[in-house]
Amino acid sequence: MSSISSLVPSRFLTLIAHLVIVITIFWSRENNVRACLPLEYTNEEYNQEDTRLVVALSVTLGLFFVELAGFFSGISMFNNNQSLLSTACHASGAVALLFFLFEQWTCSIYWWIFGFCSVIPALYEMFLLFTVLGLKKKPL
Amino acid sequence: DAVSMLSSTPLQVLFYLNSWYFAVFFIAEILMFIYKGVLLPYPQSNLILDIVLLLLYLGLETLRLFYGWKGNLCERTLTLSISIGVLVPCTVLSVYYLLLQTFVLRLEFILNAVLLCFYGLELILGLITISAFARYNYDFV
Repeated sequence: MSSISSLVPSRFLTLIAHLVIVITIFWSRENNVRACLPLEYTNEEYNQEDTRLVVALSVTLGLFFVELAGFFSGISMFNNNQSLLSTACHASGAVALLFFLFEQWTCSIYWWIFGFCSVIPALYEMFLLFTVLGLKKKPL
Repeated sequence: DAVSMLSSTPLQVLFYLNSWYFAVFFIAEILMFIYKGVLLPYPQSNLILDIVLLLLYLGLETLRLFYGWKGNLCERTLTLSISIGVLVPCTVLSVYYLLLQTFVLRLEFILNAVLLCFYGLELILGLITISAFARYNYDFV
């Protein structure tokens, strides 16, 4: 089956790549927070921007958890639509976050990346979870 | 009472995804060692040790995944227990790359942590599967 041979591992690998980069940004977010602030900043401004970025990253990790739950439970593992959507979104998300990390883009750009590359696959995943668990349809 | 299929599907899925993940992990580690070798002040012997251990890791992991894959599908206890036995040196190597090597990058830390999650789940599922084989397999080992 073509979906087993190529879509499932590519979806898994792009998902893990995106997850690893989000965890890396979480771990080393100092530089990025400083990039959001003006040249002269107070401690409170730093803490405020830091908290915002922590919230954004935590919501991203929560959505990752939803998608991994759907993937590993088998509900959406063989669904071709979700695999394709997820692979595309997470691959572009991983590349965009690499730029965010290394080029030290401002924090507002993170919300755009989050919106396009984390929310869309998670929403479709939640829709699939609802149809399988709630409406009792078949998982494929 | 007879059970139709004893092979564990979750374990097989984990082996399949682990083989893909380890392939990418190995390529990433090679690239990171090139990066570290150029950028960081490595004593020569440490770099050679780390690279030799990485090649050893490739061999061990391939062995472990092959034995686990075939042992689970053919429902053979001995083959699957060899896979769990080889899990021990693989875990040691993963912890080495996570904590004890000369220079640990954040990315290496996270990649090895994911690998250790795989190992933990495979250990638990492997032990459950071996107990299922031992319980229901009366004909052959």
